[in-house]
Amino acid sequence: MPSLRIENIAKHFGGLKAVDGFSMEVPPGEITGLIGPNGAGKSTVVNMIAGVLSLTSGDIKLGDRSISTDRTEQVARAGIARTFQSIRLLPETTVLDNIVIGFHRHEKAGPLAALLGLPSATRELRELREKAWDLLERFHMQEYAFLAAGNLAYGHQRRVEIMRAMASDPAILMLDEPVAGMNDVESDELAEIFKQLAEQGLGLLLIEHNVGFVTRLCRQIYVLDAGRLLASGPPEQIVNDPRVIEAYIGGASAA
Amino acid sequence: MIHFYYSYQPVIDFFLLSLGFAYSQQIALRAGVFSIGTAGFAALGGYLVAILATRTEVPMWVIIPAGAAIGALGGYVLSIPLARLRGAFVAIATLAFVKVIIALALYFEDLTGGAIGVTNIPRIMDTWSLALMALLVIYVNWSIGRTTLGRIFAALAQDESVAASLGVSIRRYHMIGFMVSGAIGGLFGGLQSLYVYNIEPNAFGFAFVVTILTVVVLGGRTTLLGPIMGAGIMAILPEVARPLADNRTMVNGIIMILVITFLPRGVGDTIVDAVRHRWRQRRGASRPQKQEVADAVASD
Ligand SMILES: Nc1ncnc2c1ncn2[C@@H]1O[C@H](COP(=O)(O)OP(=O)(O)OP(=O)(O)O)[C@@H](O)[C@H]1O
Ligand SMILES: [Mg+2]
Repeated sequence: MPSLRIENIAKHFGGLKAVDGFSMEVPPGEITGLIGPNGAGKSTVVNMIAGVLSLTSGDIKLGDRSISTDRTEQVARAGIARTFQSIRLLPETTVLDNIVIGFHRHEKAGPLAALLGLPSATRELRELREKAWDLLERFHMQEYAFLAAGNLAYGHQRRVEIMRAMASDPAILMLDEPVAGMNDVESDELAEIFKQLAEQGLGLLLIEHNVGFVTRLCRQIYVLDAGRLLASGPPEQIVNDPRVIEAYIGGASAA
Repeated sequence: MIHFYYSYQPVIDFFLLSLGFAYSQQIALRAGVFSIGTAGFAALGGYLVAILATRTEVPMWVIIPAGAAIGALGGYVLSIPLARLRGAFVAIATLAFVKVIIALALYFEDLTGGAIGVTNIPRIMDTWSLALMALLVIYVNWSIGRTTLGRIFAALAQDESVAASLGVSIRRYHMIGFMVSGAIGGLFGGLQSLYVYNIEPNAFGFAFVVTILTVVVLGGRTTLLGPIMGAGIMAILPEVARPLADNRTMVNGIIMILVITFLPRGVGDTIVDAVRHRWRQRRGASRPQKQEVADAVASD
């Protein structure tokens, strides 16, 4: 599986330098953490990788290929999936079908087959729904399969979003505060799943305010502050870094 | 739209024609495109078919698909400049498209007969052949509902940036939505020509646009049943309200306001939602066996 490399990227909103010359690597097979106080630029980094925001400068590479000018759907097709900090599901669609759309990258039947109702197209939906059921079972969410996603509790919506991202079978999975608002039991369950994914060879980019959660899971952590890299290294080193402690205690709250 | 004779058969024929136009309108909305270009597609198909049928010896089995084809082509061409527009801007741009088509129909008098239009079109369509064509369109829409295409359209309609984040090309699927809308609109425009003897530019004007939009809003914007209910209500309403003679239009209006206020999703969508809800409650949400999966897919 390819590695995701971010090289000296910057994003300026007018005079505001939300991200200003930041580099990091998300290698396959492990969970890489990105932390930092509120407004540090973490979500901006994710949105730049995802093709939602254009780069002011710098480059982003998946393997050997630059994806820094790709559109959102091209980035997704290249194998980079994401979740959103503010949950974004299809509220009127069932949980099951929210996940089914996640498989889009691997669909084979074209639109003509769908319009003509050919067996290849109807069979494909059946198969994808089967795979979606597998995911639902893995997340213990079967009982919600036919509910409109918008009616779910917050924690469950988060899980649907993660399942949807996993459905695309990505090489890189970016999780923007995936356990925000969850209790310890729930977040431990997810931590287990994230570890399994990394063992399968995925590269995970984990953004999280809960420093304990990140240090438990990540091999490498990057600390962003005001758009710039403050520190990077293994968890032990990061939690003892005086600059990091300063940024968290002196800066915005680290909930 | 078409002349309204006072017996049931014309009511059914009117129902079938507006059903086709309503699916053309609905599919655009389903794909998240606020197009009201159906009238323009219908005019393209309607004129092409009328001209071919009155001036050439081209056989009907070529002429009728040609109407659908020119509609699809119109949808394709229209989708290119409109790719960057959204919402109300799409509505305005597609309305402009309708106006342009009508203006062209007025301008190319030699071909289109100008304001008089095309007359003496052979009447080939009857209730049965219209019903057959309506079934064809229903089949296509049903197929969309039991394949991933329907899921993609729903995603585009609800949150297109989520769809993009999952690898869906917004441009491509909006184009598909436009083309299907165009093909159905063109097909039924052509069928209408082969039913009403003569067509003129005004037949595709604002009244047409409003009528078809009303059908979809009344019936429902997402389900297969939506246009059927909407077109049914629009066909029957004048019959029901006829004793009220002079107040008919007002009664029509009041009924529409009532439906839109109390069933904002439309009569058809509301019914489908309720049935689906009960079905799911009864069945629970356990993982279905293979055969049940097939049924569930078919019921969409
Ligand atoms: N589209 C935008 N236009 C202008 N400014 C923006 C935009 N998006 C983000 N910003 C600004 O860029 C900075 C970084 O925001 P970002 O959302 O990346 O922070 P974050 O690290 O994700 O914070 P949080 O922990 O609160 O999610 C903030 O000051 C924010 O106000
Ligand atoms: Mg953020």
